[in-house]
Amino acid sequence: MCNKLLVALAVLGVTVIAVAPASAEDEIFPYTIHEKTLDNGLRIVVIPYDSPGTVAFMTAVRTGSRDEVEPGHSGFAHFFEHMMFRGTDKYSGDEYNDLLKRMGADSNADTSDDRTRYYLTGPAVELETMMDMESDRFKHLDYSEEVFKREALAVLGEYNKNISSPFLPMWERLRELAFQQHTYSHTTMGYLDDIKAMPDYYDYSLGFFARFYRPENSVLLVVGDADPEEVFTLAAKYYGDWEPGYQEPTVAAEPPQEEHQESHIDWPAPIRPYLMAGYRIPAFSSETVDTAALGIIEQLLFSESAPLYQQLMVEDQWVDSLQTINFDHRDPYLFTIFSRIKSNDLVPKVQAAIDEHIQKLQDELVDAEYLERVKSHMRYSFALGLNSPDALRDVIGTYLWVTGDPSEVNRIYAQYQKVTPEDIQRVARETFQPNQTTTVTLSYPASDEAATGATTGAGR
Amino acid sequence: MLRKSIPFALAMLVFAAACAPSAHDEGSIETVTLPSPDSPLVAVHLLFKVGSMHDPAGKQGLAALTGMMVGDAGTSEHTYSELIDLLYPMASDIEVDTDREITVISGVAHSETLADYTDLLTEAVLEPRFDERDLSRNKEQLMAYLTTTLRATNDELLGLEGIQQAIFNDHPYKNSSAGTVEGLESITVDDVKSFYQQHYTQANLMLGVGGGYSEDYLASLKKTLSALPAGEASDSVTLPEPTPVEGRQFTLIEKETDSVGIHFGHALPINRSNPDYYPLMVANSYLGEHRTFHGRLMQQLRGKRGLNYGDYSYIEYWHLPPLTTTPSPGYPRNQQYFSVWVRPVVPTTAHFALRDAIYEVDRLLERGLTQEEFELTRDFLINYSKLWAQTLSDRLAVLMDSMYYRMPYYIDEIETRLNGLSVEDVNAAVKKYLQTDDFHAVMVTNNAAAAKAYLEADQPSPMQYNSDPDPEVIEDDKTIQAIAVNPASIEIIPVAEMFQR
Repeated sequence: MCNKLLVALAVLGVTVIAVAPASAEDEIFPYTIHEKTLDNGLRIVVIPYDSPGTVAFMTAVRTGSRDEVEPGHSGFAHFFEHMMFRGTDKYSGDEYNDLLKRMGADSNADTSDDRTRYYLTGPAVELETMMDMESDRFKHLDYSEEVFKREALAVLGEYNKNISSPFLPMWERLRELAFQQHTYSHTTMGYLDDIKAMPDYYDYSLGFFARFYRPENSVLLVVGDADPEEVFTLAAKYYGDWEPGYQEPTVAAEPPQEEHQESHIDWPAPIRPYLMAGYRIPAFSSETVDTAALGIIEQLLFSESAPLYQQLMVEDQWVDSLQTINFDHRDPYLFTIFSRIKSNDLVPKVQAAIDEHIQKLQDELVDAEYLERVKSHMRYSFALGLNSPDALRDVIGTYLWVTGDPSEVNRIYAQYQKVTPEDIQRVARETFQPNQTTTVTLSYPASDEAATGATTGAGR
Repeated sequence: MLRKSIPFALAMLVFAAACAPSAHDEGSIETVTLPSPDSPLVAVHLLFKVGSMHDPAGKQGLAALTGMMVGDAGTSEHTYSELIDLLYPMASDIEVDTDREITVISGVAHSETLADYTDLLTEAVLEPRFDERDLSRNKEQLMAYLTTTLRATNDELLGLEGIQQAIFNDHPYKNSSAGTVEGLESITVDDVKSFYQQHYTQANLMLGVGGGYSEDYLASLKKTLSALPAGEASDSVTLPEPTPVEGRQFTLIEKETDSVGIHFGHALPINRSNPDYYPLMVANSYLGEHRTFHGRLMQQLRGKRGLNYGDYSYIEYWHLPPLTTTPSPGYPRNQQYFSVWVRPVVPTTAHFALRDAIYEVDRLLERGLTQEEFELTRDFLINYSKLWAQTLSDRLAVLMDSMYYRMPYYIDEIETRLNGLSVEDVNAAVKKYLQTDDFHAVMVTNNAAAAKAYLEADQPSPMQYNSDPDPEVIEDDKTIQAIAVNPASIEIIPVAEMFQR
């Protein structure tokens, strides 16, 4: 059940998950995946889909904020994403935008921990133009220092628009407490000080492009009204001369977390309190059931039907939002809970309720019938979600940057099929340990009464 | 559990409707259909012509809360928790959304679960439980949206609501669709029951069904929904013209924030059902198509000056869910407005950014579009608009919006109308409908006194760039920095007073 008016809360994304049998003829993903790798290492993936006249085109570079290994350069992968729109000798930034406009494409880009992706959706008849303009900027990006400095201000503007939400400061704090060595310790947006220093790193940006924006570190995905052979031919024509030369950064491994970390942030204005808790989890893998089991645990604890959700949202009504952040990652990461609570005095009670339900998963085997209901939900959720070329792009895209292999979609869903109550119990015990937990709270540092007043009419 | 027999080949989902959409008036329920026989999915939308504009005085939020007590609460047969448990294995939701004029209860189901899903959906609409605990939970949701999401955590949504309150002051559109804090506090279960009985009627219902449904299914659904009282249409409530604005009237919303967000605009006498909307649509796209890089505002304020993250313009209400770039269907409003949105800027450049945005609208008014700009923008919109309804549910919603406005399918209408336009039509529409002499402006800032002082002083606001701008930027800035803003009035509102009563 969902109120769209309130969807502004739900900005954190949803893990799209489902189950599938292991045999090839019953793979969960109902469309044929065509793949080819060029001599320079660029992988091309084509998924024909019945969207007459329309294709979704994406280039994913497997470089994100995870690759920001040099100190003082947090947020640089995201900043560089902005620079990719600043043109080449062949197509200036303005000409690139004119081309997009001429074809009527929906186009943008975004950056996360493990990748940067550039996507456009538009007329299938323009596929060659898309190949031409996209390959050109990946091969020949060229911008002046003045343009570079100016774009750094747009990134600062992006930070400013995001920082009015308590999510960003909490997210920053959680990650820097949970990771001491690995670059997951900073957000993709980066620290404000690093963003302010960006205008001084023009030369660094040229090196960033040369090291990371290479064909063997990238993948093209085309979904929609496209013939795979034609796509492969066009890709060879436009991307074949893209020179390899990827320099893989050395990302420090994060040692096991030894003890519980916690922190509190005071917010300068009346606000309902927030709770964020992160639990260390392994990297994505379809080799074992563990990633899949964690996806099912997410449902068992936090779906609308989950007893914990029912208690906190429906019965006691202590929270008005209860979400998880559980995106597949290349390296060991965090399973995160994010909740908005009715008043300051309820924060410890909500924490205790979460702990209690986790403990129950660790102590008791989940009911087999309930597990089947969860798997049914996931299966239909997956089916209902494959409703446009963009949706397919997003589903398959994740696997392209996490492991590089789109067939992961079938392997991981085969693992969902195999998850047993014993797997749930084992993974719950391994994951939800106090020493692997980081907790951040945020509230208005007034009395409980004042904070509650924020919800019932402050400033009257 | 998944078995081989389960038809997972969902590739049959047909992207474009296999059959032409249509509207019927069989019986007393207006029905809109979008058949796509090979699709394994079915979308059902129940559009009730009742929204926040129908909230009684002192009960602001009643339409939204009633919608939630239908679509996000228990039924006579099932508690809310039981209903969630029943829906969960299908992965289908009952979604509810209340805007100024309408409330939509909707969902998408797989054909395998359609019968069970439809039973629950219709049960929710026909037999709401009106449980006190459901009321308390839903009221808290709306209250939290107003007092925390809007007031404290999302300056951009705050500004969007703020500009609507300014333009539609003394108008039924004024309040957020979620109502006000005091309005919500005063609403009882009896208020909700009474509002439901008055407005959830056949006369107010437009039923939309799309996807792989059968005729029998449609007939059965309509028969079930005929249990709603016949009622009288509540869209007959008179929608007055907004009070005309005189001069440039500023509202400064003061709150803790590091940046300044800016909106300005004025009411428009036309909406998308009017032929003049389409030349204006071309001009607006040229000026500031949402989340694109080729609008003039975006190019000038962000691209050439690095003022912020984005700058756009609109000629109808733009619903702002996270991460979408194209317009969301499902928010039809007869009364529309023109607005410019300057995303947060650092306080030291706010005065200049406001002037630059005014300059760009004035430039459009003075020179219009060239033939080349017109053709490029027209062709862009014809192609781009085809991406606005990629999913079955979105296509159905666009179709229902079109029926609501009593016009042909909007996306087809765009192509038809734009192909019949000339650059002269576009430039005439700009002069006829847009202006910057009289507008409402809203700024979200942490120092309203300082903002008021510089707006009143109206002194030049030269820019300091961190790198050498283009020569034409330097030249244009000489004009922009000295534009007389000349505010007619400046009102400061502490954020705690927003959405209060």
